[in-house]
Amino acid sequence: MARARSARREQIEKLALYPIDWLEERSGLVGGLKYFLLRKVPRDTNWFHTLGSATLTAFLVQAVTGVFLAMFYKPDPDKAYESIQHITNDVTLGWLVRGMHRWGASVFIILMFFHMARVFLFGAYKYPRELNWIIGVLLLALGMFEGFTGYLLPWDNTAYWATVVGININGTAPFLGPFIAQILTGGAEIGSETISRFYALHMLALPGAMFALIGLHLYLVIRLGVSSPPWSAEAAGAERAEPEPTGRAGLVSPGPRGAVGRPDA
Amino acid sequence: MASRRVEERREGFQRYKRDVKERGKPFFPYAMFHDTVMSLVVVAVIIALTCIWKYTAGGDGTEPGWLGPLYAEKADPATTNFVPRPDWYFYFLFYLLRIFKWPESVILGTVGIPTIALMLLLALPFIDLRRERRLLRRPVAIVASILVVLSMGVLTYKGATARESLGSAVLAAVPSWAKKQGFEGNRQAVAGAEIFAQVGCISCHSYINTGGGFAGAPDLTDIGSKQGKTAKYFADYVKNPSAFGNNQMPRYDRLGDENLRRLGLFLAASKGLK
Repeated sequence: MARARSARREQIEKLALYPIDWLEERSGLVGGLKYFLLRKVPRDTNWFHTLGSATLTAFLVQAVTGVFLAMFYKPDPDKAYESIQHITNDVTLGWLVRGMHRWGASVFIILMFFHMARVFLFGAYKYPRELNWIIGVLLLALGMFEGFTGYLLPWDNTAYWATVVGININGTAPFLGPFIAQILTGGAEIGSETISRFYALHMLALPGAMFALIGLHLYLVIRLGVSSPPWSAEAAGAERAEPEPTGRAGLVSPGPRGAVGRPDA
Repeated sequence: MASRRVEERREGFQRYKRDVKERGKPFFPYAMFHDTVMSLVVVAVIIALTCIWKYTAGGDGTEPGWLGPLYAEKADPATTNFVPRPDWYFYFLFYLLRIFKWPESVILGTVGIPTIALMLLLALPFIDLRRERRLLRRPVAIVASILVVLSMGVLTYKGATARESLGSAVLAAVPSWAKKQGFEGNRQAVAGAEIFAQVGCISCHSYINTGGGFAGAPDLTDIGSKQGKTAKYFADYVKNPSAFGNNQMPRYDRLGDENLRRLGLFLAASKGLK
């Protein structure tokens, strides 16, 4: 009797796992996910290491709320302001979606800076993670540019005049400056051409580039691992030896003695 | 033949991988728990900010609450009493521009310093090649980070508290301009100066230590001292700057010919301080 039940259970389990096996056989995605989730990280990672995923979360909030805003927003100087009013006052929970997009932008920028500060203070940009630092800097620049292009879209006085100033600043740059300002404005004055250009950059070009770079960023994080806090006694990669003799003065000592106990990976 | 430093850091990374493999913890559930909690906090903060913004704002949304209005008035290219201001995370850049003066050094603020800062950030891993990661043994990194945080903080604060001159405040300065420039007797020029003060010229241009002097707009204190620039020339220029190859300054034909004529007389009378 017990034997029969376990046989049946086995069959049910097989049936339940069938779609997973099917997917794994054809894509290897299940193994990939398992590897992602069960990969080892240094045992001393802490709350500071959550700043990266927090930044990603803020970015995803922007992406999701942005899609909903795009359903109601009209990139036209005659309609933009009214569509923002409509979103804020009439659409169900429109104020929440718009507000989350607006404030999420600030939170995203702050978290990018915090994340960068963490990586800098931990020295986590050093070998072999140089490339990921560079990708991060590019993401920061793109994120700021997202802020600039998104600021115009509500088409109120704040938006309009900040953009006038921003584009004029751009125009003062040597060589490429006037050219870039011309491309951004799209005409003699800031108007319908400008708003559609900013809209296209804000919701297609920039986020597309950011998604790609974030993918690369995460790939490198998984491939290279995260570095232990540099002060940790059990930092992964540190050369373990007897406690250092006290009174070592040199701040820069490239010799093997200087390397003792250094968490340098 | 790899150098010793290259070999050392390769060894270090091999050691790191071994350590993580032997003594690390699995990402799920340990690190993922922290990540999830932090992500929920982020979303909660965003929603909280939104609710404070929404429920403290008064009127039809244009009255600012604790976190500003839901929206300002609709964009009006002809407005004269609006102070341009970017979002807070550009305040540092916004203020940087006001430190430098047009036209000699403003380029340092607009492109010079930001470009250098970006280049330094990108090059950081190649500038700092030491393996040392502990902060107390990286004095240069400590000093650099303190300087960056201080300067960004001060610039952001200054940008946030900078008071631009509104038309009404500038208007009060007109008699002193007339005196300093010596056109007190010229009533048309004084009238032009009053228009100049009120229609927003000062949002971009500067005039005798008043006004933004940013956005790449030149100081106009001695604009009238240039050879062959008559009042009519200035009036035509302001009316439609793009006809003179200036595609950055907006056109002001909406002021009307009479006002433009006075404005031109004022600019022509601005010969610079004695």
